[in-house]
Amino acid sequence: MFESMLSGMWTGISSTFIPINIVMVLFGCFMGSFIGMMPGLGPITAVALMIPITYGLDPTTGMVLLAGVYYGAIFGGSTASILINAPGEAATVATAIDGYPLARQGKPGKALAIAAYSSFSGGTIGVIMLMLFAPALASVSKGFQSVDYFALMILGLTAVSAFAGKGGFMKAMLMTILGLMLSTVGTDQTSGTQRFTFGSLELLDGIEFLMLAMATFALTEALLLVLKRDESSDSLDPKSIGFKDLKVTKDEFKLIAPTVAISSLLGFIVGVLPGAGATLGSFMSYGMERNLAPKEEQEKFGKGSLRGLAAPETGNNAASTGSFVPLLTLGIPGSGTTAVMLGALVAYGIDPGPRLFVDRPEVFWGVIMSMYLGNVFLLILNLPLIPYFARLLAIPRVIMIPAILFFSLMGVYLVTFNSFDIQMMVIFCVAALLLRLMNMPMAPLLLGFILGGLMEDNLRRGLAIYDNSVSFMWERPLTLGINIATLVVLFFPLIRSSIKGLFSKKAAV
Amino acid sequence: MAREKLGALLMLLFSIAYGIGAINIPLSFLAQQETFSSRTMPMALAVAGIVFSVAIIVLPTVDPDGKPSLGDVTKGMEFRKTIYLILLMIAYGLLMKWIGFLIASAIFLMVGFRILGEKRLKIIVLGAVPLVIFLWFIMSLLLGVYIAPGEIFYIMGII
Repeated sequence: MFESMLSGMWTGISSTFIPINIVMVLFGCFMGSFIGMMPGLGPITAVALMIPITYGLDPTTGMVLLAGVYYGAIFGGSTASILINAPGEAATVATAIDGYPLARQGKPGKALAIAAYSSFSGGTIGVIMLMLFAPALASVSKGFQSVDYFALMILGLTAVSAFAGKGGFMKAMLMTILGLMLSTVGTDQTSGTQRFTFGSLELLDGIEFLMLAMATFALTEALLLVLKRDESSDSLDPKSIGFKDLKVTKDEFKLIAPTVAISSLLGFIVGVLPGAGATLGSFMSYGMERNLAPKEEQEKFGKGSLRGLAAPETGNNAASTGSFVPLLTLGIPGSGTTAVMLGALVAYGIDPGPRLFVDRPEVFWGVIMSMYLGNVFLLILNLPLIPYFARLLAIPRVIMIPAILFFSLMGVYLVTFNSFDIQMMVIFCVAALLLRLMNMPMAPLLLGFILGGLMEDNLRRGLAIYDNSVSFMWERPLTLGINIATLVVLFFPLIRSSIKGLFSKKAAV
Repeated sequence: MAREKLGALLMLLFSIAYGIGAINIPLSFLAQQETFSSRTMPMALAVAGIVFSVAIIVLPTVDPDGKPSLGDVTKGMEFRKTIYLILLMIAYGLLMKWIGFLIASAIFLMVGFRILGEKRLKIIVLGAVPLVIFLWFIMSLLLGVYIAPGEIFYIMGII
């Protein structure tokens, strides 16, 4: 196994360390940081916006670019959280808890530098673990059958909803179902039957994934910024940061070192769980660090604690890396962003799943090795560029929002060359906007949409193998194991609240 | 009414409509005999959609963010500019075929800047035109992507 890992690493190095891929990682990190920094725009939007560019590229190069955009956007989101208390997305909310007070204390440079070092450490440790675990899991999953995949997809979709937070389970399930419903539009590949096409030629091939991703994220996020009159750039002058402010002392490094180690491990494990992703990784790392810290340090949390800043930053980067494990080994996305990346893989003509490890090792290992490169680039590119990046936050929204709308529309048009798709995008955008106003989450919708077709195919194939009987759900041990895991995840909110109730009762006694 | 219950109500109506559509999916005689046909998954999804929507409507709202009514949440929001931007996107889609990518995009950006409050003509023009030309240059000349000119140029005999 060790030998195959070494040969895989060599494949990854030889496919990644070529000029075009190095340039793409650099470009991806830069663009990701730039887009992720815009308040309101997160990694899903960043990745979706960059997909049209990758369509003309080799799949390895395309994935390398998207991976760079992903962790660049996570890092960029932290910059907006620290400087103007406007997290680009949920994964960087925990960063703002201590990062913003630190910036307000006159140490914005130090806060950004600690975020950069923590992101780098979390990302790099995460990649090392990804390199160790992903091939092992991919080898195991080679024995999977259609029915196991169907069960795994149910597990993935359920997990996304189960980790949705307080009161979010039902809504996330409902949005997953909506995504699954949208995936049935078009011609049924097996029977050739048209479903929900309403006689429209444009709908025969179904709904374009990129169009849906752009409409539900990029367009909707941009319009929400207008709708909410979000003027969050008035709290700190990003131009006030200089190079000398970025210095971190030896003692400060010593203080955050254990935090980084623990949060990397925790973040990665959380990231591997389908549906958990960077948000849970950052919050769990922050919560754990607060509980582990000595009492006097605990009091500093929320007021500009360095450990409080390092923990979520490390956690979200390690979790982002961890979320690539189910994507690369099982073809099941662990988060909204990896769901978009899965859609891109399918669009490149690559069949995601354990065969990816065998059939396209250059893509599998190329993505992993590019992450090393990306983490190094993020540090050496972003650290000295922090003062300049921060100034981008001063670009007026009057210019930025129409530009985002334009890039989204243009991105889809230049892939399909069909103006009908622009009208469809607007319809989906308005629907998504309404659903967002009604507090419905969008990431499960995208996940359901992407997995819907694969799920139906695998179930149909499974039923054909098992003579139209669903007994495989409990007769095949592997499928049964996955189904039990689904039940555990399904009842996770209930288990969580029961445990909480038990603890609060004990505390009351 | 809590805003998430309103969302669930909309989803309930959508699920019912989707379910009716699923029942009406045309099937051949042979397909009708199959255990798993093109209708199976959509019908199961319609049922699941109805069950979850009803559950959200009937059960008490736990998420504090979902409790306020839609009216409370949207009070003071900038609807006028948002609607203008939506209309602008629709117009962009309709105009693109006729006046071409370059002109339609430049108009889209300039009108977009204006809607959001930019009044300086210099900023509006300099923000839109060079960006569109730059993108057209990259796509057409560097990446070799063919972007068709507007139909109007053919009709007028310019091309």
